[in-house]
Amino acid sequence: MKNFLVIVIFLLFGLDGFAQQPDARIIIKGVNEKFAKVKDYQANARIDTRISFLKILPQKAIVYFKQPDKFRIKSTGIAILPKQQFDNLFSLLRKEDAYEAFVSGAEVIQGRPTVLLNIIPRADTSDLVLAKTWVDTKENLIMRSQLTTKSNGTVLIDYQYGKYSDYALPDQIKFTVEVKKFKIPKAVSADINSTASKVPPGKEPKTGNIIIDLKEYKINLGVADSYFK
Amino acid sequence: MYRIILTELIKIAAKPRSYIGLIAITVIVGLIHLAMFLDGLNYISFITNPLQMAFSLEGNILNGNLVCFIILQTLIIQIPLLVALVTGDLISGEAAMGTIRLIATRPISRSKIIMSKFIAGALYVFLLLLWLGLLSLGLGLLLFGPGDLIVLKSEELIIIQGTDTLWRFLSAFGVAYLSLLVVSTFSMALSCFADNSIGPIISTMAVIILFTIIGTMEIPFFDQIKPFLFTTHMVIWRNFFDNPLPVQQIINSLSILAAHVVLFLSVTLYMFNKKDILS
Repeated sequence: MKNFLVIVIFLLFGLDGFAQQPDARIIIKGVNEKFAKVKDYQANARIDTRISFLKILPQKAIVYFKQPDKFRIKSTGIAILPKQQFDNLFSLLRKEDAYEAFVSGAEVIQGRPTVLLNIIPRADTSDLVLAKTWVDTKENLIMRSQLTTKSNGTVLIDYQYGKYSDYALPDQIKFTVEVKKFKIPKAVSADINSTASKVPPGKEPKTGNIIIDLKEYKINLGVADSYFK
Repeated sequence: MYRIILTELIKIAAKPRSYIGLIAITVIVGLIHLAMFLDGLNYISFITNPLQMAFSLEGNILNGNLVCFIILQTLIIQIPLLVALVTGDLISGEAAMGTIRLIATRPISRSKIIMSKFIAGALYVFLLLLWLGLLSLGLGLLLFGPGDLIVLKSEELIIIQGTDTLWRFLSAFGVAYLSLLVVSTFSMALSCFADNSIGPIISTMAVIILFTIIGTMEIPFFDQIKPFLFTTHMVIWRNFFDNPLPVQQIINSLSILAAHVVLFLSVTLYMFNKKDILS
């Protein structure tokens, strides 16, 4: 009798749980539809690189985007950016046949409830191994993503939205990237007087941040193809 | 005094070896500019490879500021040798030709003779550096345009904004000038002990090469010696491209270099005043 009750309770609540589990494909579709409202955009960016072995002042740049996948950053000086740029995720999500997606949990990020999606590419040849995205399903906004690639390790991307959230365009993107110790021979750098690092071995920071503030978006006003050459 | 300095300058100008430095700088800098113009991006991608493995670099990396910086660090060993070619000959060259006795019989003190030679040598060094600056920075900016400067260090990478580079280059050239004055006075001091030019020139070159090798090798024993070598402080020009600027380290090295100039010049003055001129 007791076992029977357990089975009934499991069927009632367990199946109900499965019924309420959001569909990953529907969530991704919502995100894609929102971003599809943007045909093109141009925005002013400020790139702040905070990596232990890099000393660089924040750099101003202009970001250009045009559907489906044209993306370009033009900086006034030298800017350091992660290999996985911020349009990569949307490029991936758009190709719905190219990956498997499933819901694997729920978390609160920046005070918003989000659904965690795991995305695995179908092709073995893909550089991407796994993408995790935390989506605010109410607003159809990606709040955080974590991309693990064969070539560049794992990068965590946090998005903050402001007045352009209706277009899924963030005000700030924060990349947290894995960094390895930077060391080149003195003969190459001609850095004769340098002394060994003051940071003890194994104590070097393992990650660094690249923070991109975006403002003054010009959305759907047309961006010439010449900007992407 | 002015006339003696002018005479010394004319003597320097009359010697073919004085032009070797200018020609060598022109050829080396010209070749580096040509190589950078033709294949600079490949070279840059080679040296920034550890960074480009994880990050992508946006912007004009190959620019006049970077080319000038590469030239400066390439010529770090060669320029002192070119200076020694001329300054190592200032006293011993006259001894070899037998003119030193003639000069010493003129109604001017021996100290004035040495000071005029020192000032003439310093003016030659200034001309050499000015030529290097015009060719490396001036021509570099003309050929490759301005831009942010990537300073490659063995364990870090500094990127300096293009608008913030001119004063750093001028300061670096200033320090390079003081460094070359050390070489100039050192070779002059050696020149006092010899009656031919080859000895002081080769000795100066040997000392610079030896000190540079000790400075480059990462052996703990050498680390204790390095602070006492003037070549260690000669590369302090690179510190002007640090961020933040290591002011105390720069002041220390400048003081040590200036002290070397005073020391070598004093030795030269003392030895020349005591010298028994027989040739």
